[in-house]
Amino acid sequence: MNKLTKDRLGGALLVATGAGAAVAGVGYGMGSLREMGSGFYPVALGVLLALIGAVLLATASRNPDAHLAAAAAETAHLAGPAVQWRGWLCILGGALSFVVLGQHGGLVPASFVSVFVAALGDRGNSLRDAMLLAALMTLLGVVVFHYGLHLLLPLFQW
Amino acid sequence: MHDSLMQLMYGFGIALQPANLMWCVFGVLVGNLIGVLPGMGPLSTISMLLPITYVIAPVPAILMLAGIFYGSQYGGAIGAILLNLPSHPPHAVTCLDGYPLTLQGKGGTALGITMMASFFAASVGIVVMIFLSPLLVQAANSFGPADTCAIMLLGLLAGATMARGSPLKGVAMTIFGLLCGAVGTDEMTSTARYTLGVTELRDGIELGGLTMGLFGVADFLVSVNRTTVSPSHAKVRMRDMRPSGAEMKRAFWPMLRGTGIGTLFGALPGTGPTITTFIAYALERRWSRTPEQFGKGMLEGVAAPEAASHSKTQVDFIPTMSLGIPGDAVMALILGALIIKGIQPGPQLIEDHPDIFWGLIASFWIGNVLLVILNVPLIGIWVRLLQVPYRFLFPSALFFIAVGVYSTRNNLFDVAIVAAFGVIGAILLALEFPLSPIVLGFVLGPMLEPNFRRAMLLSRGDLSVFVTRPVAAGFVAASALLAMAQVVAWWRGRRRVAASAASR
Repeated sequence: MNKLTKDRLGGALLVATGAGAAVAGVGYGMGSLREMGSGFYPVALGVLLALIGAVLLATASRNPDAHLAAAAAETAHLAGPAVQWRGWLCILGGALSFVVLGQHGGLVPASFVSVFVAALGDRGNSLRDAMLLAALMTLLGVVVFHYGLHLLLPLFQW
Repeated sequence: MHDSLMQLMYGFGIALQPANLMWCVFGVLVGNLIGVLPGMGPLSTISMLLPITYVIAPVPAILMLAGIFYGSQYGGAIGAILLNLPSHPPHAVTCLDGYPLTLQGKGGTALGITMMASFFAASVGIVVMIFLSPLLVQAANSFGPADTCAIMLLGLLAGATMARGSPLKGVAMTIFGLLCGAVGTDEMTSTARYTLGVTELRDGIELGGLTMGLFGVADFLVSVNRTTVSPSHAKVRMRDMRPSGAEMKRAFWPMLRGTGIGTLFGALPGTGPTITTFIAYALERRWSRTPEQFGKGMLEGVAAPEAASHSKTQVDFIPTMSLGIPGDAVMALILGALIIKGIQPGPQLIEDHPDIFWGLIASFWIGNVLLVILNVPLIGIWVRLLQVPYRFLFPSALFFIAVGVYSTRNNLFDVAIVAAFGVIGAILLALEFPLSPIVLGFVLGPMLEPNFRRAMLLSRGDLSVFVTRPVAAGFVAASALLAMAQVVAWWRGRRRVAASAASR
């Protein structure tokens, strides 16, 4: 994705979000400046956001921004394709499985599965690596969070 | 002034109490550890340990959080110098000369200089705080809601424009943060805003969930399967870390200059540590008689940015504690943590809670001493820890994030928020948007709106109050100047690029 596309997408996203926020905000009642309703502030923000998005769209260009040095330094240690479906699905899957299994299983299954699934996101982790890490983290979790900090999530629940 | 010194003594008394000291040590240790590990910055760490602050008293809580903050600065320097791995952006500059020094076998010296610079900067920062805070508080006590609004506006604008990346995008992200802050029940009218029918959102988005998603999970999403590991050249022994007299002399003036820059930028709300270190490095290079040597292992190139970074860290607390205006995202988070504990940072903090304020200041010194003491033996451990592969770190970190965020409200929904903001953060990062302004907006939003409302109520809907009241007018003018400066800089940048393209 070159800079032009990034700016265009970014601008479009801002316009959409701002417009959406503003439209929803109007429904909360605007009131006047003197007696602001719930919607005044959100609508103002939404409009502003959309305006900035429009400016971004208008000024989108191929040329890099002036503040490149700092941004480049930050991602200097990253290499490889930016698109990582496996990694993304596993990380998000891990997080969501914690939510689901926390509710229908308890701390132990939630810990194990979430770490297991997330670990599988890295190509360098074998099934065994993932399982060992998950087991270790579950043990740590039970000791530190349940017995140590008295976390309110039960170890097992249905 | 004598009064301030008495207060400082009192603060030392507070900070040295065993219970408080223990949490300070904990914070410093964890911060140092986190600083060493790539990917998790003070933001993520503070977010993760936020739940702990809910159950301990305010004084140890803030000591711990502050300890994490500057502990992570130390840790970041270690990673940057020894492994060319800037765990967080501000230390990217330290790598430039720090790593070459390691390759020359002088890694220990570089670290030693860093420690000295930090200690020096912290001391200066404390002195500044002692003198500046009571003055600021006096001034702030005369502020009305319009003035407070104007200050916040400046803070938000500064935070948006001086952070990394395009200032326009920074402002957009600040507004996005403000909008996120508006999610929930409007306190004045009890209307549910942007809750999409979800009951859990009636109380708003959980701060920890937002930050952990934006800075933890988003970072994982961006870095997974993409981190590169550099071989370790680190063989650091204790005695290596004592720099020679000549080296100390060389580092002295850069340290001083770096501290000056850090103090200046620290007191200004909104400037980030990254910009500060870059400017310190650039200035040092321009000042030097041998600028071409920079990047090959100049001690000055390490001393100046590190001093700037550390002094900025300390001075950052000034506007946060005395005005209630956080200087950057981390300060915003600490501010948020204090508010959750029922403490409103601002002019009345020094009067109402002198133990927090002065205890915090005293803890900076104590914390720095601790860091020096701890880092000497522990340096070997940090180096070994840096070798833990990322593929083990991020699933574990995700687990800690999930548990930590859950424990804030005992609600699994918040973990889903983390995931959601992780996706949002990753998308924004891919589109080159800065994420820190979001936190700034999110924390300040719930304060901005009531103040604006009140200002409008008092002035009967008259917006000119922002230019008729002297204080408000001053800050509005400053904001306007800042905005104009950004536009001018952007315009010049465009012209320069177009000219160079045309001349090719």
